[in-house]
Amino acid sequence: MESAEENNVTYKDVNDIVLKMLEPPTVGWYVLLGLCISGVAIGAFCFSQQLLHGMGMAGIAHPIMWGVYITNFVFWVGIAHSGTLISAVLYLFRAKFRMPIYRLAEAMTVFAVMTAGLFPLIHVGRPWFAYWLMPYPNERALWPNFRSPLLWDVFAVSTYFTVSALFFIVGLVPDIAAARDAAKTKFRKFLYTITSLGWTGGHKNWSHYEAAYLLFAALATPLVVSVHSVVSWDFAVGNVPGWHATIFPPYFVAGAIFSGVAMVVTLIIPLRSIFGLEKLVTKDHFECMSKLIMLTSGIVTYAYVTEFYTAWYSNNLFERYQFWFRPFGEFKAAFWGMTFCNCIAPLSLWWKPLRTNITYLFILSIIINIGMWLERFNIIFTSLSREFIPAAWGGYNFSWVETGITIGAFCWFGMWMTLFLKFFPAVAITEIKMIMPAPMRKPAAGHH
Amino acid sequence: MKGDKDKAVVGVFSYLDDALSAVEFAKGSGYEYKVYSPVPNHHLEHATCDSRSPVRMFTLAGALFGITAGFTLAIMCSLDYPLRVSAKDIVSIPGFVVIGYECTILFGAIATLTGLCHLTRTPNIFRKLGYDPRFSYDKFGVVVSCPSSDVDAVSKGVEDSGAEEVNVENGL
Repeated sequence: MESAEENNVTYKDVNDIVLKMLEPPTVGWYVLLGLCISGVAIGAFCFSQQLLHGMGMAGIAHPIMWGVYITNFVFWVGIAHSGTLISAVLYLFRAKFRMPIYRLAEAMTVFAVMTAGLFPLIHVGRPWFAYWLMPYPNERALWPNFRSPLLWDVFAVSTYFTVSALFFIVGLVPDIAAARDAAKTKFRKFLYTITSLGWTGGHKNWSHYEAAYLLFAALATPLVVSVHSVVSWDFAVGNVPGWHATIFPPYFVAGAIFSGVAMVVTLIIPLRSIFGLEKLVTKDHFECMSKLIMLTSGIVTYAYVTEFYTAWYSNNLFERYQFWFRPFGEFKAAFWGMTFCNCIAPLSLWWKPLRTNITYLFILSIIINIGMWLERFNIIFTSLSREFIPAAWGGYNFSWVETGITIGAFCWFGMWMTLFLKFFPAVAITEIKMIMPAPMRKPAAGHH
Repeated sequence: MKGDKDKAVVGVFSYLDDALSAVEFAKGSGYEYKVYSPVPNHHLEHATCDSRSPVRMFTLAGALFGITAGFTLAIMCSLDYPLRVSAKDIVSIPGFVVIGYECTILFGAIATLTGLCHLTRTPNIFRKLGYDPRFSYDKFGVVVSCPSSDVDAVSKGVEDSGAEEVNVENGL
């Protein structure tokens, strides 16, 4: 594989290339940040209308009580997933292709969970009572139901956020120290001195650091499997046609990795071009990510087919109707859109020239993310609109409030990403150096 | 270890094997030393660390606390507010596995961070004996603590190891 080492990159080059990204922002950066903050303001305004006038401002109504908010929640938790896969799982497998992209993937994880976490709060209607979700001592001895998947979700997502954030911050510390040592302004020097925690790279520190980092990776790895499994149980434990299936956990986990890798591609391609990272993020890295997309697309397609097969094989009237309704009912556009984006379009990656065609990959990654949003839409809307009793069937139109909040969420994610890119190293300096041979006067004694 | 260690001889190296030679010199002469490196390196670790980092013990303790706390929380809360759902047991262990599992990971991670901070003595933005900004860039640094009387000998030893620059600072 073509790597930083084969591009004749030295330790000095790595610092120079990555820290150059932190140089004073351009007008384009301010415009992007301004757009994101404007979007967040739109979302905040829409949310304020919901708070002032009640949940009627949102389109959610019986029977589709979960609507766009929970679709967004599942979508953003899914986006978060591949960050942990790339940072933790591929670290344990010593996959070198992760090195230039994993920091961005980790940042994406943390910011995506921050975005996902907004939606249950928005959805509950009275977010000032959100602390009722947590078990806290109270005089009525009233505790949450620990057998409910919704409470499992509270624990799963909050644990995921905490562990991902710790893993992310611990990985950042040595790189922030490098930024501190190269900082040119007093503000940056102060910021990096505080946030690098006084890291100096002493030999004992590295020894403890490596052990701790490995342990963090080992702790984060099961979360890759567990978090979206627990999210899938929000659906699968409920006795709703189209949801009540044991395939949901692996199906959700594969889908999450699929969408997350696509999002990494969406983010890394413009960054690579804007910041001149071509020496660090090579076409081979994109080929590896394309293969991961092909694999997870295959698993997701298999899961879609299995759902239809089990509905037919079960001979259950409601289940069979549900899986007729999806491709031919009121929301058929979402189903066929999902099928095209997630199952058919990624098949093009079997052709190698497309796996290394950066423009094509960028477009495909956006198509996949649209497809994965539609998948969650499809699961939630079609199942809830056609439960058991025809008298309870119904449709759904989402309101301008939900649309505004959805746009605000994307901008919220974009705002954190934009700020991160200019204030902290978005490519891992230390880990790229780790895969390069250490400078030796006698190279024969060097890297192995 | 020798002497009062009131001086620190700082060698700046471009090559790792030279820095390792300086480490061998410091170890052979019985001086305390510290190596700064822009990256962790297994050669460096073999030369300087005699034992495995105990940070894993913190992780184990945190994880054991977490699994205990998770199950205890779920069981005690369910017993304190018994709410029977669909004829399931009040203490319904399969459902509580999720809580126990998540708490295991959560407290394991928090304990790992605590252990790392404790063992590396961070945060501490003021302690930088012999540190040079180049050590986070592309240079290696070997800092040897020694008494004033040995400064010349130590400086020569470090220089002979291949240091491209040798400085003397006040020690501990």
